[in-house]
Amino acid sequence: MRTLLVVIALGFSIAIMISIPAGIMANQESMQTLSENLTSTITTMQEEINKTATLIECSTTPNQGMQTFRPGGGFFGGVNETFINESIVDEIYSINVSGVRVVKDVIPSLEKSSSENITETITTPFGNRTVYRSAYTIIGVCLNSSIISSYSILPTNITAGENLSEGDSCYVLISSNLTEYFEAGVGDTITINGELFTVKGIFESSSQTRTVYMNISDAQRITGLTGEISKLYVYVVDSSYATQVADVIKAAYPELYVTSYQDRLENLQQMQSMYTQTLSNAESSIAQAQSTATQVIIIAVAATSLIVLFVMLYSVRERTKEIGILKAIGFSNWNVMSQFMLEGVLIGLIGGATGVLIGSTIAPFLSSFLIPQINLFGGTQRPQASVQMPSTNIVGLQSYTTVTLSPELILLALGAAVLLGAIGSLYPAWRASKISPIEALRYE
Amino acid sequence: MNETVLETEKLDKVYKLGGRSIRALSDVNLQVKKGDFVSIMGPSGSGKTTLLNILGCLDKPTSGRIILDDVDVTTVPEKELYKIRRYKIGFVFQTFNLLPYLSAIENVELPMEGTGKSKEEKLKRARELLKLVGLAERENHKPLRLSAGEQQRVAIARALANGPSILLADEPTGNLDAKTKYEIVRLLGKLNTEHGTTIVMVTHDNAIASHARRVLFINDGKMLSKEKMGLFAKEKLTCPACGREIQITHVFCPHCGRKLSN
Repeated sequence: MRTLLVVIALGFSIAIMISIPAGIMANQESMQTLSENLTSTITTMQEEINKTATLIECSTTPNQGMQTFRPGGGFFGGVNETFINESIVDEIYSINVSGVRVVKDVIPSLEKSSSENITETITTPFGNRTVYRSAYTIIGVCLNSSIISSYSILPTNITAGENLSEGDSCYVLISSNLTEYFEAGVGDTITINGELFTVKGIFESSSQTRTVYMNISDAQRITGLTGEISKLYVYVVDSSYATQVADVIKAAYPELYVTSYQDRLENLQQMQSMYTQTLSNAESSIAQAQSTATQVIIIAVAATSLIVLFVMLYSVRERTKEIGILKAIGFSNWNVMSQFMLEGVLIGLIGGATGVLIGSTIAPFLSSFLIPQINLFGGTQRPQASVQMPSTNIVGLQSYTTVTLSPELILLALGAAVLLGAIGSLYPAWRASKISPIEALRYE
Repeated sequence: MNETVLETEKLDKVYKLGGRSIRALSDVNLQVKKGDFVSIMGPSGSGKTTLLNILGCLDKPTSGRIILDDVDVTTVPEKELYKIRRYKIGFVFQTFNLLPYLSAIENVELPMEGTGKSKEEKLKRARELLKLVGLAERENHKPLRLSAGEQQRVAIARALANGPSILLADEPTGNLDAKTKYEIVRLLGKLNTEHGTTIVMVTHDNAIASHARRVLFINDGKMLSKEKMGLFAKEKLTCPACGREIQITHVFCPHCGRKLSN
């Protein structure tokens, strides 16, 4: 009966000892992933912040968004589109502020609505109307390797095929909502303005926009706009020059719509600090969980050896007479000691086995109970990105059910149990061996 | 039987209780020859059990020497004493002191633990001994399923396991009823006569003591000398009325019923 209690008590200690590390291991992995993801997100965001802060967008047309159609049934398709000669690139590039060149990069692009139109039925307050709109927008981008790698001018969420790369000519990247229109997939050939293009990749469009990306020189050729561009992304060397340079451009080219991104900047910075906060939360949680686990394990180890110690001491006391008999019939001190040590080791072994059984049952619950939850964004709300963000996978830490007991951990636990049994019974066994036979025999 | 197995010289034992010292044994000189069967008698508190414990190396004398098989055991260090207890001495207790969770045969095998004997050797020896004490067919019984007399037989078999030089029995019949008492003491007698086992037995029962070859008396920790015992110093006494053998402790002659003078 007593032995049974010891075994159960020991079992629980061992269970704690194995389920905590198991939980920690499971959590640490997801924590690690989270931490890595957050770190890379923060780094990417920092780059984005730096770029945004130094970006001035110059466009020949008012900003996107209202571009699709105009009320009254009229259609918008290249009618109001204006273009500017690409010599402006060099002119803007050479802007000086007090004799210092402040423009880092000027990235031209050409956006032109397709000559083909489609009809669409849309619902308006005046009833259903049939509208005409351009079938898609051609975007000619500067396929220069240093620009592609430094700035996100191409879509990132490719669903099939590959993205455009440096110097690609006669290749296009189309938005997924255009595959039906062109009746084409990756590797197929499509005709645009009478020229043949191969679909190199398909990207998932974030909105209703229907877009075809191609090399800017291809775009200029097929639209007959040689030397013309419609948009400029101007990057200054330092964000402090952004407003100043924007003013210079506005004054010099009144026909351009010039936007700098100070408001977006604030938003980005806010988001970044939120991610940073989450990262530090995650890191402190890892540290906290580890120290909690260490404490619990130390307590479990101490408790286990104390349990064995007291039970064995009690056992020695209770069996004093037996020890006396054994000594009277010729048992040596060592014989007596090894008897009790063996008993302690056996209790440890049985307790350890019980512990593994209990542990494998309770480990998932115990570890989620003992390890603090991590507050991700303070709830379910996530910041809404107003600018295009690199896609990130943030691993949720809510899933504790993946706790598994590895064979190594089980062996380790059994070993620990045996060791603790031996350690706990060392002193009682030594005491037993020192009992004087004559006094032990008188003991009742 | 001239070879001396056990000899004590000026054995003293003083217990210190609080500030007082109690002299349990005083100048005990004893000689036991090989094949002897000695009864030590005395009232309770006379020191007879103390003497036996000291002889059995369970207790240490305050002074004096104990020579067992030509070895002065008082000079053997505590750590080595177990060898004397294991190989030289067989101890039989009043309360049997069998381990309740071991079977009869396992109890008999117990003293052979750590002697380097193989399992088969131990089993064979234990079977032999159980047969010797007449319990061959009860070897797998646990002590609680054996009668008191049977338990004492197992204890005697256990005491003989390592072929000791001397068998020490402390009130071996003290917990037994009248019938089994005689069975046990007869068994001891048989071991002595048929197998030459040297026995020292402590008892306060004169009927039991009379089965021994010699009866010694102890009182207040002193062995009664032959001079002091006077008439009783003779090892065999006869009834003055009928001439048959009587014991020193008899008040009436067990044969003719006449009151005996001191």
